[in-house]
Amino acid sequence: MGMASVNTASEGMQLCIFDLRRGQQEGQELDKILFFFPADLPFATQLSVIGLSEGLITFTRIFSPDAACEVIEAERHSHVFFEAESDIWMVMVVEKSKESKAACQVDALRKVLKEVHSLFVLFHGTMRSMLEKETSGGLIRSHLYPFITDYLSDFLIGKKLQLPSFHDCLMERGTVQMLTVGREAAIEVQSLVKVLECSAGTTSCYSLVLFQDLLVSTTLSPDDTISLFTYAVLRLTPHALSSGATSWSYLQRTNAGSQVPALSTITNSGSVSDNIYRSRDTSLDQDNNCQVKRPLHHNRWFRGNDGFLASDIWGADNGSQTSVTPIVYLQLTEERMYLCAYQYKRLTIILLVPVSSILNGEQGLSLVKQQVLENVCVLSVPASLKMLRVEEKLSKGWGGENAYHVSGYRYLLVDDERVSRASPPAKVMTLAKDSLLAMSKLREEVNLEKRAKCSTSEVNSDKELEICVRAKNGAWVIARTSRGKELYMVLEKASETLLYASDAVEKFSNRYCSGVFSLD
Amino acid sequence: MKERNTTSTLKRILVNCSSQAKEYGGCVAKKVPEVERDMCLKEFLALKNCMQNVCLTSVFCYIKNFSMSANASSSQLTVGLSGSGGLSHAYVQYPPLKCNLPGSRGLYYDDANKLLLSPTSDQVFSWKTVPFSPHVAATADYINEGPVLSIRYSLDAKSIAVHRSNQEIQFFQRETRETFTHMCKSESESILGFFWTDCPVCDLVVVKTSGLDLLTVSFTSKSVNLVETKKLSVNWYVYTHGSRLVLLASGMQCKTLTGFQLSSVGIVRLPRFEMVMAKSDANSKPVLAAEDVFIITVYGRIYCLQIDRVAMQLHSYRFYRDAVVQQGSLPMFSSKISVSVVDNVLLVHQVDARVSILYDIFEDSRAPISAPLPLLLRGLPQSHTGRPVNVGESLDRNSSNHELMFYGDDWTFLVPDLICDVASKSVWKIHLDLEVISSSSSEVPSNLEFLQRRKLEASKTKQLCLAITRAFILERRPVTMVAKAIDVLVSSYSHSVKTCSNLKETKVDEASASVGTNASNSSRSAKDESRVGVGDKSFNLSASDSDDQSREIDSRDLQKSGKENLLGAESSRGEVQSSSLHTQQLGLGNNQLNANNSERQDSQLTSPAISPDEMYSCVFVPVGEEIVGDPSYLVAIIVEFLRSTNSEKIKVRPNIYVFTIQLLVRYERFAELSLLIINKVLEPSKEVAMQLLESGHQNPQMRKLALDMLRQLSLHHDYVTLLVQDGCYLEALRYARKHKVTSVRPSLFLEAALASKDSQHLAAVLRFFSDFIAGFRNTPEYQDYFRILNEMNTGLAV
Repeated sequence: MGMASVNTASEGMQLCIFDLRRGQQEGQELDKILFFFPADLPFATQLSVIGLSEGLITFTRIFSPDAACEVIEAERHSHVFFEAESDIWMVMVVEKSKESKAACQVDALRKVLKEVHSLFVLFHGTMRSMLEKETSGGLIRSHLYPFITDYLSDFLIGKKLQLPSFHDCLMERGTVQMLTVGREAAIEVQSLVKVLECSAGTTSCYSLVLFQDLLVSTTLSPDDTISLFTYAVLRLTPHALSSGATSWSYLQRTNAGSQVPALSTITNSGSVSDNIYRSRDTSLDQDNNCQVKRPLHHNRWFRGNDGFLASDIWGADNGSQTSVTPIVYLQLTEERMYLCAYQYKRLTIILLVPVSSILNGEQGLSLVKQQVLENVCVLSVPASLKMLRVEEKLSKGWGGENAYHVSGYRYLLVDDERVSRASPPAKVMTLAKDSLLAMSKLREEVNLEKRAKCSTSEVNSDKELEICVRAKNGAWVIARTSRGKELYMVLEKASETLLYASDAVEKFSNRYCSGVFSLD
Repeated sequence: MKERNTTSTLKRILVNCSSQAKEYGGCVAKKVPEVERDMCLKEFLALKNCMQNVCLTSVFCYIKNFSMSANASSSQLTVGLSGSGGLSHAYVQYPPLKCNLPGSRGLYYDDANKLLLSPTSDQVFSWKTVPFSPHVAATADYINEGPVLSIRYSLDAKSIAVHRSNQEIQFFQRETRETFTHMCKSESESILGFFWTDCPVCDLVVVKTSGLDLLTVSFTSKSVNLVETKKLSVNWYVYTHGSRLVLLASGMQCKTLTGFQLSSVGIVRLPRFEMVMAKSDANSKPVLAAEDVFIITVYGRIYCLQIDRVAMQLHSYRFYRDAVVQQGSLPMFSSKISVSVVDNVLLVHQVDARVSILYDIFEDSRAPISAPLPLLLRGLPQSHTGRPVNVGESLDRNSSNHELMFYGDDWTFLVPDLICDVASKSVWKIHLDLEVISSSSSEVPSNLEFLQRRKLEASKTKQLCLAITRAFILERRPVTMVAKAIDVLVSSYSHSVKTCSNLKETKVDEASASVGTNASNSSRSAKDESRVGVGDKSFNLSASDSDDQSREIDSRDLQKSGKENLLGAESSRGEVQSSSLHTQQLGLGNNQLNANNSERQDSQLTSPAISPDEMYSCVFVPVGEEIVGDPSYLVAIIVEFLRSTNSEKIKVRPNIYVFTIQLLVRYERFAELSLLIINKVLEPSKEVAMQLLESGHQNPQMRKLALDMLRQLSLHHDYVTLLVQDGCYLEALRYARKHKVTSVRPSLFLEAALASKDSQHLAAVLRFFSDFIAGFRNTPEYQDYFRILNEMNTGLAV
């Protein structure tokens, strides 16, 4: 175990969450730490990391009160800052790899922080509200540790934490990937969604429909859509369910063996520090630990007999065998909603039912579920039949895993920082390292440019931008932004001239983006 | 509405009819749970009679929801009140057509020409019954004195044939009053009857005991020529012009029938078939009479209904080109039965029970569409207390001329929808009250289906359908149910659009037909062509109806021509195209023009189909105004509507999209809206883009979508203007150059550039326009901005 923890430590990643409103008194500094990874680091080290970060934040705030520090590039480390909630900061310290300096994607790392925070808020509400509920901080710490360690376990490859690097420069975390559907299928989907929402009885239901790992329809606000979509892709889609069953069981098996995998180190180390905290926070009773739900816990969702997905994460209902339905928080309205997920083949439908509309908890909810399926089935167009038709239509229209591959191009399209589409990862892997490094650098530049524009002129934030770079290996690395839409592209075979490259972009733009990026 | 104020009447009914109610209730209770339609009918009729008597003492009542629909239980009787008029599914309108003439020797009905004929000693008076009007004047024609068995006008209305005796038919030409007589050749056979036909080979068919004689009649030679004889022993025959079908009965029991269809397409001999007749005991052999067989035409299909007195059932048979298929039976509650067809609805009059039962035999359903109720008399003048007259109740005794026995012995039911009261020599036309029929049905989708099939009173039916749909949505019924109802309306509309071209052609046909009679042969072949077209179309049309339609005898166009070419001549497909092509096409062209003019109004009236536009303005908009709160229900229904139109491939006008956007924006459902736009569920159009722009004040995302839409629609001018408005004047310039947009005023760009306070940009814009637009340098605009630019630059320099 000791070996493993050394391993993770030597990985050179540190992640901390702290609250600037806490522990401002001398001697109470520990109180501001809400989370630290790795947890088995001595408090002195933890405090020094946090102290440095806090100092930088305070300093930079003098010049930019609204947007303080974003990143510090030291010689061997990058510090990535993210102010998740006001005065609650998440800081990630990443060691720079020797081979490719400055190639770590700061923006991608910040997106990781943002993602884990939005997921946490989705299931637990804001950190601030949690802190207000239980001022000692024990509650939020006991929730944060398992949550973030579960989240980080997704980045585990073997024993190493594989954080986003230049390899991932042609993908955008924190966006949704949409399935392109024809009008007819879209109408069918809408019809299904409306029937489902209406049959649930209450008017303020929301829904999210996914096909495979792609979003088909949503009635949620954009932010909620992104967090729920992220969660669904991580844990709910058929792909997530099956991968949990196979690859994860492989890890479990190794777990059972003598070798200690990294995750157990993480969780164990978490509990170690938990104990440390608990020893201080005596107010927290022992049982609290059991009540902490771990929505990101692997391999805990399964498809029930009725087609609804169920999980034992939230425990089972007293008396009955049915498992408790999770409750999620909507960001905009702070409404609490029951999350009901239904799966039919590749189709996943998430229905959010307001908690306030269901009177007697789990029983009432199962009634709604019955209604959703049954009530509609009694009539001649059963929802399940509709579902069948929708699934069939979407399957027919879907081009498979590589549906959005455009031969000759490796691209990433981002629309409004919410929706993205990219070449399939397998295709991106074929790119040379040089191209990826160049693209990674280019993205960094574009992000800087974007942010600079944001801060200077708020009105015309989406100006146009066009950058073409010739990489060391002769590949063209291109970025274009236009009215909130971004296009990144690597053309390895388009050698020769700039004109040729720009022509290729034009063609792509006309063909796949309805001419958004056509400059002239 | 109808259930209001029912308590007092109900109470009275319950007091007065307790014994009947008890009996009926007991009967139903005994059979529950096997509730069937028509069960306990005897008890029900007794109860109904009693109730009606009670009701009539104050106000009349109407019985709704009789247990006819399969799932409703028989005990579910609702008695309602109405203050305005009687309610019954079918009624006759006062006043009737009076055919009372001094010296009349009886009334005859010529169903081919829809004429009522009343011969006197030397004249025959005729009244047109289509269009039905009680005030139509009689036309008189001279005929010789003599006995009259029947009279029929020829199809071109130029001559009259009078059946004088078993051996003799006399012909009169109306204009020249020429006459001659056709006699039966042999003494052994006698003439049973005759009818004129539009069959290509003959004009007249004489039915004799020995078979059919197909004859041509020539007044020039004053003779008839025998074309063909179909040898067959005939006891009696039945013929209707609507079906062009003659059924010949033979055999001991007269239940072996042979059919011939003599249509303009030719003669089709149907296979001989046996009618089903139950025996009361082994020895009795009931004989089928001519009165027991009815030929009816419903939805262009030909059926035969046959009374089986022993089984008390009305068997139905459907005719196909090469087969006769028994379809099932309807119940009989009376020994005397008659049938009418009104607007493709079958009315079975149970004469002794004094009720009529309605059937819609569109989809082989044998379920009646409403309770057995009597026909009602409507529109009686005020002196008759304005009270509708019900079951057999004779009218005000004071006015003896109106004395009328409903379902009396004097009633003769004429094909298809007339009642002739022989005693009072008056003719009534049966109407359906669709409002009552539909209000007695709780299944809205099937009810709409029924209404959409009605062709008479189309505009009224359409209004009724709209009202039903509105109410259905306002009641917030489950979306799937509403979707079904919408499907019905949309598919009905799509059907009517598809047949619209057919309709047009028929019109052309009709127009050229009238020309044909005026200008003789010249346009006849033109008419032929269009007739062929109609034939093909209606074939397609019926192909979608049901099972083995291809074999079906298609009487649709027969019916049509029967309706439209009342007295006009009809030529047939087989006729030789003799005239010159030139005149023919000229004639056709002219007619088409006329036909189109008249068609616009007509087609609106011939079908109650509801166009998407009407759905929008008469359903969605009013409902949108009334529904308060969350619009998602209404949006759900609009999505269902779009799904329906999309699957029927019907174009929807943008106004419905604009309406949807307004609904969603009002409740800030931007996520849904953008999804609908991106997926083109709301199809892109300028109107939609403009509506999105308007919502752009609330949500910038909408503005972006609108801009994208404008660009995709290639609405360059609007796109460029909006870009400039957004301050993206450089991008706008580039776009303008690429797409050669010159309609946007340069000053807009210049103003925007000036607003950005960037002298380089201003200079660039100025330079661009002086290059892009010839002569721009000479405009005052150029001068102004050039000066401004200079000032800016000098200002900078200083």
